[in-house]
Parts: sequence; C-alpha cells; structure tokens
Amino acid sequence: MTTPDNASSIIKTLGDSTTKWLRNRFAKKRPLGEIYRYFKKVLESNNHALELITDMGQKLDGSYIFDINYIKRIYPELADTLRTSIDLFNRLTRDNYAIEPAFAHIDSLISEMIYGEGTAGDDSILFLDDVQWFRAREVGGKSFHLSELKNNLRLNIPDTFVLTTRAYDEFLQYNGLKEIMLPAQGDEARQPNAEAVQDAIMAGSFPPHLEEQLDNILQTMQSRHGSKATLAVRSSAEEEDDLFSFAGQFETILNVPIVKQDVIRACKKVYASLFDANALAYQARLDYAFGSLRMAIGCVLQIDPVASGVIYTANPVNGNVDEILINATWGLGTSVVDGTIEVDNYVVERGKSLRIRESKVGSKEYMNVLDSAQPGRIREIPTPDDKKNLPCLSPALVLELAAKASDIEKYFRTPQDIEWALDAAGSIFLLQSRPLKIVSPQVKADLPRYARDADSAHRPFLFKKPGIVVQKGIAAGNVYVLHRIDELNDFPKGAILVAHSDSPHFIRIMPFVAAIITDTGSVTSHMASVCREFGIPTIVNTGDATKILQHGGEITLKADESGEITIVNGLDNSILKSKQQHIRKMEELYEYRRQKYILRHIAPLNLVNPLADEFTPAKCRTLHDILRFIHEKSVQELIAISQNGLFGKPSLLRLDLDVPAGIHVLDIGGGLPAKIKPPLTADDIASLPFKALLKGMTWKGAWNTQAVALNVKDFMGSVGRFSVLASGASGFAENNIAVISKEYINLHMSLGYHFNLVDSYCSEKAANNHIYFRFVGGATDIVKRSRRIKLIDKILVEFGFNINIKGDLLIARLSHVAQEEIIETLTMVGRLIAYARQMDAVLRDESDVELYAGRFLEGNFEFVE
Amino acid sequence: MSKYNILIIDDEKIVCDMMKLSLEQEEGYEVESFLNGAAALERLKEKKFDMVVTDFKMKGIDGLEVLRTVKQLYPKTAVIMITAFANLDVAIEALREDVHDFFPKPIKIKDLKESIRRALP
Repeated sequence: MTTPDNASSIIKTLGDSTTKWLRNRFAKKRPLGEIYRYFKKVLESNNHALELITDMGQKLDGSYIFDINYIKRIYPELADTLRTSIDLFNRLTRDNYAIEPAFAHIDSLISEMIYGEGTAGDDSILFLDDVQWFRAREVGGKSFHLSELKNNLRLNIPDTFVLTTRAYDEFLQYNGLKEIMLPAQGDEARQPNAEAVQDAIMAGSFPPHLEEQLDNILQTMQSRHGSKATLAVRSSAEEEDDLFSFAGQFETILNVPIVKQDVIRACKKVYASLFDANALAYQARLDYAFGSLRMAIGCVLQIDPVASGVIYTANPVNGNVDEILINATWGLGTSVVDGTIEVDNYVVERGKSLRIRESKVGSKEYMNVLDSAQPGRIREIPTPDDKKNLPCLSPALVLELAAKASDIEKYFRTPQDIEWALDAAGSIFLLQSRPLKIVSPQVKADLPRYARDADSAHRPFLFKKPGIVVQKGIAAGNVYVLHRIDELNDFPKGAILVAHSDSPHFIRIMPFVAAIITDTGSVTSHMASVCREFGIPTIVNTGDATKILQHGGEITLKADESGEITIVNGLDNSILKSKQQHIRKMEELYEYRRQKYILRHIAPLNLVNPLADEFTPAKCRTLHDILRFIHEKSVQELIAISQNGLFGKPSLLRLDLDVPAGIHVLDIGGGLPAKIKPPLTADDIASLPFKALLKGMTWKGAWNTQAVALNVKDFMGSVGRFSVLASGASGFAENNIAVISKEYINLHMSLGYHFNLVDSYCSEKAANNHIYFRFVGGATDIVKRSRRIKLIDKILVEFGFNINIKGDLLIARLSHVAQEEIIETLTMVGRLIAYARQMDAVLRDESDVELYAGRFLEGNFEFVE
Repeated sequence: MSKYNILIIDDEKIVCDMMKLSLEQEEGYEVESFLNGAAALERLKEKKFDMVVTDFKMKGIDGLEVLRTVKQLYPKTAVIMITAFANLDVAIEALREDVHDFFPKPIKIKDLKESIRRALP
C-alpha cells in the first residue's frame, strides 16, 4: 500500500532522477573540443596515478628496503592524483556517477593503515551475509574467506555470525586487560606472564552491550535452527589464514549450545588461546609483539557430519597444480587435521575434465562424533567394523568436491587448503578455505650439492611404511623420541623430533628443530601446514619410526619433492652445519606485511569487465578499480555525448574492423572524409598515423585467434577476479577511443586485462614527429606479464625506441624521424598490439621471449603448440 | 675464513630487519643492527666492523657523526649512508668525510649488495 510517506519518497526519487535526466538532456551543449580536453586530462591524470601505483608495487615487492616514510611520501601524491581524476571525471560526466564516496571509503581504509586515522568498523557482531570486502581485518582471515565463499561464490556455508576484533578490544577494555599485557616497567625485555593473562581472560565478563547484542543474535540463531542446534566457535585472528595459516594454533570449540553463557565461555577460551605457549611462539616467529595480535571469532552452525575432510587444490610437496588431493574420514574432520588416524586419500587430476587418478581407502580405526549426551563435547569412538575400510566418498562426491575446490581456487587465485563436511542429507558444506603453501619448483636446484652426495656408507633405516614427505629438505642431528607433549620442554636445540603422531604443539620447538618424523599423520594436518610455512623437513606416516630410531642416536635425513626419503645412521657434519638455520622470509617481518597490506587497497584490479553487473562504483575495492571505472565511463561518456543525435550529427563513429578491437573514432580535423557512408571502415580513414596503425592491427595473422588456454596457474596472483569467473575469458567487448586528425592519432585501447596507449604525430617535418607507446597489465601473474614486457622491449629496441620499464609497465618513445619511418613503425606497432594480446599466457619461460620476438620480426605470428 | 661483519644503524626497525635478513641470509655476512647512533657508537668502540651502513637522519647522534667516528676509529672501514630523500647537501658533506656510497630510500637491495661487495677488502 502506498502511504503518504513513501509516496513522497517515490515522488522525490522520481523528481531527483528526472531532474538529473532533464539537466543532462537539455544542458547547454558543450563544444566537443572542451569535452575532449576533459577526457584527455582524465586519462593523463589516470596514467600518472597508474605509474605511481606501479612504482609502489615495485618498491614493496621485496626487492627494496623501505619504511613507512616512503608510503607517507608517495600516498598523498597518489590520493591527490585520484582526486584530480575524479574532479575532471565529474566535470566530464556532469556528476553522473557517485564515484567520490567509493574513493573516500578506500582512502579512509588506507589512511587508517598509514596514519591510524579513518573510520574503523563499528560493529561488534556481524552475520556472515553482512560481511563486506572492506571488513577483512575486523572479522579475521578465516571468517572473511568464508564470507567470500558465501556472498560471492554462493557456496554452501553453515549459518555463521562473527564477533569482530572490535568485540575483542571491547572485552579487553572492559576487563582492564590491556594493562596486564604490557611489559613490566623498567624490564621491557621481559614478556608479561601469559598464564596470568589467560586466567584474567577466563575470569573476565563481556561488556553489557555486547552481551545484549549476543543474546539477540543467539535468539535469531535459535529461531532459525531450533533449540537443539549447536555452534562451532572458531578463532579468526586478524592475519589468520592469510600469508600465514596459524594452523592449529588457536582454540576451536565444537558443539557449543546456543546459550549465552556457553557461547561466552567458548569465546573466552578462544581469546585465551592467543596466549598459549605454542601460539605465542608462532606469533613471535611472525614478529608480533606480545598481545598485539587481535582475535575475531566465527560462530558457525555446527554440522553433524557423516564424513569430513580436507582438500588441497595442489600437491604441496612437489608443487604440482594439476593434482587435487582430498582426504576424508567418518564423522568430524578433527582426526584429519590432527593427523592421528589413517584416512581415505583421493588424487584428482585436472585436465580437460576432472578425473580420479588414485583412491586409497584408509583403515579409519577411530572417528570423532558430536556427543549428543553432553553438549560442548565431542567423542572419539571406534569406527564400526562395517565402515572402517569402506570409502567415505563415492566417486561422484569426490568429483563434486574437486569441482567446488577448483572454483574456490580460481576465485582466490592461489592454491587452497579447504575443510569440508558432508551431512546426512548429502549436502556438502565448506567450513574453511585458506592459501596453501606449496613448494616452489625452483627450490630444487638450491639443495646443497654435498647433501645430495651424502655418504652412502651410512646404514639406511627401513620403516614399516614408506612415509610421506610433508616438507622436503635435508637435516642431521640427534634423535629425540617424544612420548608425552610435556617432554617438549626439554627438547634440545638442533635435534630431530621423532613422535608417534603429529601435533600443532610442535610449533614451540620449530625455531630450533632440525626435522620432524612421525609414525602416523598426513600432508593435510595443521602441523604439516606449519612445517611447510617454516621450511622444517618433515616426514609423516612411517609406521614405526619411534620404534626403529633410537633416542639420542645420530641420523642424517633427506626428503625430496618426488617423495623419496633417505634416513641413514650417523652424522654428516657438513650437512649438520648447513641445515641448522631456518631461512627467514621478508613476510615474517610484521612491518613488512603491514605495508604490503596497504597495497591491497591500492594495486589489485577487480573491476575488469565493463559489461558485468558489478561494474559499479560500489564494487570498487581498490584505487586501481576507481581508475578503471573512471577510464571506462569516460570513454562511454564521450561516445554517448557525441552520438546523441538531439544536438546534431554523431561525431564519434564506431569503426567496423575485421578484428574485435572495439574502436570509436573522434575526428578533430581531417582524419575522416567529409562524407562517410556507414559503416565506417579502415578504408575511410584519412589520418596517416591511424591508417598505418590499423594496417598493422589487421595484418594477416597478427591478430591471432588461436585459443590460448589460461589455466589456473596463469590466474594465480593475478589482478582481476570477478569477471574471470563470470566470463571464463578475457575477450570483453571493449569501448576504445581513437582521437585523430590528418597527422595525429591518440588511441587508448583496453584489451581484456591490459592497456595500450599510442600517441603519434606524423607530419612532413621530422622534427615534429613522435610515437609514444605505453603498455601495461595482463591477466596472468607478474612473472608472465613481465616476460611479455621483455618481448615487447626486444622488438621495439630493434626499431630504435627509447624504452623505460617498471614491473609490467612499458613506456617507449621514438621521435624526430621522417614521416615514412613513422608510418612504417606504426604499422609494426599495430602488429605488435595485435600479436602481444595473449602473449603473457603463451610465453612459458625466458627462452620463449627470444623465440617469439624472433618469430615476430620474421613476420611469423603463429603460436607454437 | 671468518665472515665479514657489518654494522647497521637506522631508527626504523623495518629497515634494520630487512637489511639484516638480506645481508645475512643471502650474502652470508654477520650483521649487527642498532636503532640509534649512540648505542652503535658504543658497540664500535668495542668491536671493529668491516662495513657500516647508517641512516643519515636520526635523533641524537646522526649519520654524519657516525661516519666521522668510524673514520676516526677505523679509517679503512667503509661507510654507506642512507637517507629518506636524495639530499645533495648531505651527499656532499658525506663525500667530504669519505663516505663509500650514498643511497636514498627506498633502497634497491641488489644495488646495496653490490656496493657492499665493492667496498669489502
């Protein structure tokens, strides 16, 4: 029913949009020259901003030493350039797009990270559906990834709400806990008492407003799922499941009744787990000061699963991204990540379609189940005999899991470690997805030579089972056979830990353990994740290492990426000497990571496909997205203004070409004949430089239409996101503009994920002539994009260009050359624009750069199969 | 053969940490780092270093004073000066005091390593 209130609102809305439409429609017609000047200035400002972004990306990629002052110096310039772009864009489009709020929001996020100023989130509890992209740090890595799976990939995630890091801060504040986390005055080096902090957390209370909010949320959960439903209360610390996994470091409490006091108690346990000895050791390793890591908590509707497990979308040991590994067990997945029982293993091969290559059914002696008699507890029970050796998954379910995992990997653009559960109704739920650490292929060559030639006179040990390499490497040291966890307190530095099963507790000794060997375990356990993160040579599932290896005995161990394991009696001193230190990575420096995170709001490009629904200001996540939006809409605006027949004949004409370049032509003097019979074709073009460029772009064979497979490897670490999934390819219909005169061309051309700019003057006076060519971007990772830049560089150098390269940005200039040479060179540039389109995916290694540059120069444009 | 030892002084912890990580792990030097000039000069009185890399602008004792002290105590020890900006006046002053090299931040790690390699005996 229409009430007076909403009627006036409708009238107002109609009034606003109608006024806007009328204002635009009947606004005084602006001269085309003025519009074009704005357009050109927008693009110039955008290009400057992109150069600054490229520079920042290069400086923060680990090859430069920097501090926050660099960012403080360069960011204001970048922000000002964006403001200029927005101002010019608003003038061009007459404030038609609400881009300013999008910029203000991103700018505020960045400013908060740089200067500690800005508008931080003010929600203490959020349902997963309400978690937007900019809340990543507030809800913690684990919950944020779940929100992405639910809200963007529409995958089946159990109903979840999140207590944000703000709730954690409020809890600390309310209970006066921040004070006791500070080091004692005068003794700054001494760490505060962790156990006292944990006791104080457990004795603390939720602030009344938080308790009330939680109560309301729990009532909603009960009304949705019934009073018998329970929750899994899971840690989701700020950086958890991001660059580092924190696997198994914090508490997860399963089967918690949806009762306020029970949930609060579980939350406090999760908070307290930040201060467990293992977790503190892990945080110290990642350069966190005591108490500085903040905790959010995901309260996930508890699934009572028939089976559960873990999926790795790549083989973490040999780095093979064509294999998907799936582990499964009956009941809850805790035994998979604890590494305590032998579970089912499946290997699915990626090819044109998914194919199960291996199925290995584990003995699954035990299973973990929810304890229906005691809420808040789980039970380990013997697996019924008839189920022990029965596979948990049908082949169809294995393939369904692999397909979902593949989609998730494509979305996040990096291999994933995924937890899943299957309920009695046959529905698959996703419980977690985080980046999977895989071995980089080039590490192979780094193995010390002397270790490969280890003294073969040493006696090799043979175990009951062949063992699985979790992390390759070489180590030597004294065996320390562990029987009880508390014996870790006496673990000697440089020794090799031998234990029955793996455990996340081992993190405590990771700074000084030489290697780890266990009787049971799997590559998908929490300990396995942590060992890979820190590069600790680790072998699991030997069956009986604790019995075969003698406590205190000296051994030498070698595990390689092919899965081959050698463990021999005795020490090789040269190996012992070389292997005792861990290679620390830049990512382990907190400040380094913090500054890299700033870049996440600046450099990635999510908004690629102008035809997609999400091509809106509200979907801009980064400054790069803002620039992309401005660029595309500026071009569209120019097209719309000049094609609007109300005020005269169209002045921007679509060029009909044999290749899908999507070019619209704006003639500013003598570039087109006075009369044109539509459609406009290349033959109609009178502009000398444009004609030459088009000749090259449409050169026979140069615009290669061979399908180039962009596989998952190509997209890993890439810049785009949504549109890749939406389209499956990068061949969007583009709107590109060529501004021409008889002797001039300015062409801005976006082709999928990369951008070309050609600006050239081509007159009879050589002194006035120039070609400016700019190329940036691409769909693939930075290594491949840089390879394409090298290819373009090699080709352009042959034609006398002066070239500057920054990462994947190339700027080439050629000036003061005769008209004939400009024409000939522009024809070559046209061929190159066409040829280079898919080259990032085609160039497999550095030698291909030479090969394809050579082929291009010979006039051969085909890709080698 | 014993390793070369290098002293790093910068009041930004991230600079000390990144430099230490690069020079120790990738080049095999022994590196000590300090967040202020005073503590570094104390250490210099106790121990001779093969190379000193110091920030120019620091509270209290600045990079030029570090440079002068190093040259007074150990004339053969090379000093590399780093600054937040490319500052010509500072560079000239440092050159007068026989600085080995001069880097504005951000510093390309590869260039720094090469400069150190050139300076070491």
